[in-house]
Amino acid sequence: MDDLLARSAEELFARHASSKVVRAIRAGASPAGLSSELENAGFLDALLPEAVGGIGLGPADVLPVLMAAGRFAVPLPIGDTMIARAVLVAAGEAVPEGVITLGEPLEAMARVPASQHADWVLLPRDDAALLLPMAAATRDEEASSTLGSLLRWPSEAARRVPAGDLLSAGAWAEVAGMAGAMERILEDTVRHAQDRRQFGRPIAAFQAVQQQISVLTEDVFAVRMAAQLASVPDGDGIAALNATRIAAAKVRAGEAAVRIAGIAHAVHGAMGITEEVDLHLLTERLQLGRARFGGEGHWSTWLGQRFLRGETDEALAFVRTHLGPATPETDPGAASSSSNATSSSGREPTVARRL
Amino acid sequence: MIGALPLATIPPEDEALRPEIRAFLRETVGAIPPERRARSWMGFDPGFSQKLAERGWLGLTFPKEYGGTGRGPFARYVLVEELLAAGAPVSAHWIADRQSGPLILRFGTEEQRRFYLPRICRAEAFFCIGMSEPNTGSDLASVTTRAVREGDGWRLNGSKIWTTNAQHSHYMIALVRTSGTPQDRHKGLSQVIVDLRAPGVQVNPIRDLAGDAHFSEVVFQDVLLPGGALVGEEGSGWMQVNAELAFERSGPERVLSSAVLLDEWARWLRGAGAMEAAETLLGRLVAHLAVLRAMSIAVTGRLVEGGSPVVEAALVKDLGTEFEQAVPTMVANALAKPGVVAPGPLMRTLAYTAAMAPSFSLRGGTREILRGMIARGMGLR
Repeated sequence: MDDLLARSAEELFARHASSKVVRAIRAGASPAGLSSELENAGFLDALLPEAVGGIGLGPADVLPVLMAAGRFAVPLPIGDTMIARAVLVAAGEAVPEGVITLGEPLEAMARVPASQHADWVLLPRDDAALLLPMAAATRDEEASSTLGSLLRWPSEAARRVPAGDLLSAGAWAEVAGMAGAMERILEDTVRHAQDRRQFGRPIAAFQAVQQQISVLTEDVFAVRMAAQLASVPDGDGIAALNATRIAAAKVRAGEAAVRIAGIAHAVHGAMGITEEVDLHLLTERLQLGRARFGGEGHWSTWLGQRFLRGETDEALAFVRTHLGPATPETDPGAASSSSNATSSSGREPTVARRL
Repeated sequence: MIGALPLATIPPEDEALRPEIRAFLRETVGAIPPERRARSWMGFDPGFSQKLAERGWLGLTFPKEYGGTGRGPFARYVLVEELLAAGAPVSAHWIADRQSGPLILRFGTEEQRRFYLPRICRAEAFFCIGMSEPNTGSDLASVTTRAVREGDGWRLNGSKIWTTNAQHSHYMIALVRTSGTPQDRHKGLSQVIVDLRAPGVQVNPIRDLAGDAHFSEVVFQDVLLPGGALVGEEGSGWMQVNAELAFERSGPERVLSSAVLLDEWARWLRGAGAMEAAETLLGRLVAHLAVLRAMSIAVTGRLVEGGSPVVEAALVKDLGTEFEQAVPTMVANALAKPGVVAPGPLMRTLAYTAAMAPSFSLRGGTREILRGMIARGMGLR
């Protein structure tokens, strides 16, 4: 199932999200062709129950699709749309046509990616979310950058949709996209090192280059594992995603993003910072993912506090209980440590429960 | 390119071992001060090994017919991660249980299995491994210690160095040259079991920078080995050594060497009240630990399926030791605040761990060797 889904996603992107198309959409061309292909393939409804026309998949199932989108630096919020549609359907709301980005709430504003197209913004406000049309938004040019557009609406009057922890859910989707972009960066970097010749031999023949690419490889493996870990749900569907696992994954991915981009650019040399090479599309994807929904600093603090206020003194016990590759229910050794801490109820902060 | 690692989980029947192990450790290890427990798998205590043996926790993966418990790699994973996280003194039996026993089981004769394995399981046979020599470090194929055929057996001359626990062990499995010259590289190497009480064996302990003598120089002068000393095929030593190293590169011991320090620091933060910078650092370390553990479990999953994830294991070891070294480096920085007085046991644990940390990425294959293997796996060499 995983393989089949990953293959069909890759084929779709290879055909309809070539770097030429990606660059055109980033420059303002209509993404209608690509989004209708995605819509027809059913990917945007992947997390919806089959009863309402979805595919009924869980987060771990759609991970390969989000990674494939990352590999192609697809400038559409595919993960966000999957999440937003699941939230809307769960609330009994109609799903609007088009792609939906998750907004990061600021005072009277929303931050959304500047390099991705979207038709709607689902914006968390207090314990609910508002669905706002992109067409009605004004971009605050002074406050915006390529890292994010700051949007305002004349009025945020919209129906309040009950939503869970959209920021954690968004962070999960970003980690998935980053893991995919990192895989592609590794492949491109290895190929470049083999093709590019200096001093009469491929630069891949130099130990200094080999060792750097080995470090890059290690980080790619670690982030892929982090993305898999973050996709382990504590129950059914997107609402059961576990914020603790997502926090760890976002920290690891954010850290790796810096090191990976640094090594990939170093190996590519000056060519890597030209427009002709795709590397910058992918490293920008990493920058975006790192910044959205909390960077590694934010999530490290959150995770450190959760550990210190939790029920166990031991790092390994905390990891086993809250950050293991299986759901906590299957871990009989979890509740064995004695402690005087009282703050944790022992319940997992899932995306549904945290807000 | 190296294949992706799918997520793996520890089976419930192996997880079920954990509460008993934890209860045992609370009783036996809980009162040992942290600066002793920080020695992790370098802490030597034959009495403790004996207690594990009584519970059937030595040779956990060996077949029952050889005195083992017949459990799988995941059962051992659970046992080992709890032992290491607690800082249990596992050094006496560590190498026999982890490397020598499995090697004898895999490549040894039936006679060797029947002799050594039950003794390992009873904590009566401790092993050390003779690989490095005074002029042979990362370039392992350049060993010059030589075993020459004599009658049914062998005459051994040469020396090994940096041999962990040689002064406490009963046996050494040594990588030696049985034919050819060092120029023949991987060809002509064999593994032999040396009884360290044999005439002609001299063990000279070497004190380390923390004042312990965990490793030694071992000199062989006309040591006579019986024919049954050879492990596996004559001339297959290189292949056997690599198989042995590969399986031991991704275990919890490549992630948890600084676990006692991390826990001591977190415990102190909990009581003393943490500043945000400390919380951030702690969270970062926990995130790394979580991902490393998932990777280590995934490699174990590959082993259980009968795979040979040699490069993946190298990758986990390099990342794991980077983490193990980051813990003392960063905790030292966090504690180096004017006016902050941390408890003595925490500071002594830090001092020990920080001093030994450079060895974490040397033992079992240096960082550069591992990265060379990964580069080869990626098709770069």
